[in-house]
Amino acid sequence: MRAARTAYPLKWRIMDALEGVAAAIWPARFRRATPYLMLLPAVLLVGLLVLGLIQIADASLRTLDTTTFQFSDDYSIANFQRALTEPLFLVVARRSLIAALIVTAVTLVFAFPYAYLMVRTASPRLRKFLLIALFLPFFIGQVVRAYGWLIILGNQGMVNEALGLVVVAPMRLIYNYPAVLFGLVQYMLPFAVLMLAPALTAIPEELEAAAGSLGANWVRTFIHVVLPLARPGFIGAGVVVLTLSLTDFAVPAILGGGSQDFTANAIYDQFFRTSDQGLGATLALMLVALGSILVGLVFALFGAGTLAMGRSRA
Amino acid sequence: MKRFKPTLSHLSRRTFLQATAALGGASALGLRGAYAQEPEKPAEIIVRAWGGSWVDSLKAGVSDSFTKKTGIAVRHDLTEDNEIQPKVWAAVAQNRVPPIHINWDTTTNATKSALRGVTEDLSDLPNLANVTDLAKPAGLEGFPIVNTYGYVYVLAYRPAAFPDGPPKSWKDLLDPKFKGRLAFYNDGIGFHFPAQVAGGGKLEDIPGNMQPAWDFITKMKGQQPLLGEDPDFTTWFQNGEIDAACTISTNAREARKNGVEIEWVVPEEGAKFDTDGLWIPKGLPENELYWAKQYINHALTKEAQQVWLDGLGLPGVVPGLTPPKDLVDDPSYPTTEEDFQHLIRISSKVQVENESEWFSKFKAIMQG
Repeated sequence: MRAARTAYPLKWRIMDALEGVAAAIWPARFRRATPYLMLLPAVLLVGLLVLGLIQIADASLRTLDTTTFQFSDDYSIANFQRALTEPLFLVVARRSLIAALIVTAVTLVFAFPYAYLMVRTASPRLRKFLLIALFLPFFIGQVVRAYGWLIILGNQGMVNEALGLVVVAPMRLIYNYPAVLFGLVQYMLPFAVLMLAPALTAIPEELEAAAGSLGANWVRTFIHVVLPLARPGFIGAGVVVLTLSLTDFAVPAILGGGSQDFTANAIYDQFFRTSDQGLGATLALMLVALGSILVGLVFALFGAGTLAMGRSRA
Repeated sequence: MKRFKPTLSHLSRRTFLQATAALGGASALGLRGAYAQEPEKPAEIIVRAWGGSWVDSLKAGVSDSFTKKTGIAVRHDLTEDNEIQPKVWAAVAQNRVPPIHINWDTTTNATKSALRGVTEDLSDLPNLANVTDLAKPAGLEGFPIVNTYGYVYVLAYRPAAFPDGPPKSWKDLLDPKFKGRLAFYNDGIGFHFPAQVAGGGKLEDIPGNMQPAWDFITKMKGQQPLLGEDPDFTTWFQNGEIDAACTISTNAREARKNGVEIEWVVPEEGAKFDTDGLWIPKGLPENELYWAKQYINHALTKEAQQVWLDGLGLPGVVPGLTPPKDLVDDPSYPTTEEDFQHLIRISSKVQVENESEWFSKFKAIMQG
């Protein structure tokens, strides 16, 4: 009888079979554990990172013997002593930290109006343009963008050529600290806008209208309504930009001209130039510790912002 | 090796290799048995190399002719020498097959690998019988590395920036007009030793007392030099970013080939002379090890060296090579005892044992 086949199609049979297999593998009594099962890949990934950190911690306690280029079997804190006393490492750590703070502050200032306009504009065309402009840099990549700045800002770059038209001698616009900060701000801007936009979307437009109707000008509305409500976005964006800037490698390497290294560059040098993986591991651990302390401080002082997914104090 | 070529077509490769092995003398005796039976050829040999004109020269001089001779393709892995090192070390430590067959490396870097014990012994290469002393890595037992050429860290400059004639001393770079217009390697390599002399110190005091070098480098820091790696120098000269640099002559010559007006000198304090070499990591299958050795053996032939080093503009380790026309009597292409008197050579062992400290010191000055 063909009617039976149409009453119970093949697709259904397959689904029944798959459900049967799923029930055999993961019985209904385990259902309460299903959300945890979904978490498993993420836990495994984090677990791998922790394993890596344990290995790095182990390496950080071993010193390099330059007569055999083997690491010591014994543990010592010699690498930590070097990292905390040698001027080079203190200089690059200070430079990384100051740059991270400056870049975070400047990026947030630039990102806010962009995100606000993107969220509030009544023009779908403008919103699309802003979105495309926001995502375009993601497709280019950090290294290519940094090299792009070399082309634009170099001695024979577009900017200096333009200055030459008004009889201004070529000037060194790259290979210095401001160039590194500039490159980092440009790199971080899309991240900050993306983190700020959801927080701004969550602010009802009616609140701003209400403030206006009660006599507040746009400055007061901005200071007393928009900014406080956007705080979760600022905190989320700030944390992301701060940690990414603190650990950046490519921008200081390319736009710094070799004399504006960050801690990440010093770590690379130890791993790949002097073959001292112990010291490199020590610097890496200290960078992780510094980043964690900074983020912990921000969370303690201001809450987790948008990163708390709506459960923040804000 | 060119002199064997006419007869090669009449001989089997086995006979040819046996003949070259016999020429290798006593050291080759142990290998002759291995050459008697040619192992299975791998599909390809992977050679780590530097990019740009460096790999182009290697390909033209060694790799292409090796492929033509053996039928084995050569793939060039352009991973940085510093970055391939930990990968090779990890592979050997974990008894895995290393990611490359041959590492084209600085002798200093290669010495680290040799000291760690991850290099194959190359003493049985037949063509080592025909090379100069330069091929032998100083301070190491046997041939864990074979040096294949030497090079000089010259003072390269744009003549337009030196209207009164070429610079005579490294001290000339301290002229305020060169502020921001100089370049050095970012680890100071090539500059430590001349700086020791320019700073009033003696080479004999290396490594015990290098304060004169650090003092001179501190003065040079005031000039706000750019710090980079090989490709950067060529680019910076081409883009008009710098007027002078302490760099390997090959990079300056490359810029000149690209139309940049550039010259170089060995200043009165001298210039560092060093070598690069080829080595094979431990852990390769027997047949691949055999063919990797054949590649290095081939790189030591006169014809391969001539083409390879014409491209690089560097003096090789086989007697009788002809300098490129543009480098005849050039200080960056030393061939006589007198040429070498102006150059500074410090043993790889001393360099390797102190490199980390020198590197940190240079960085501390330049990053401060």
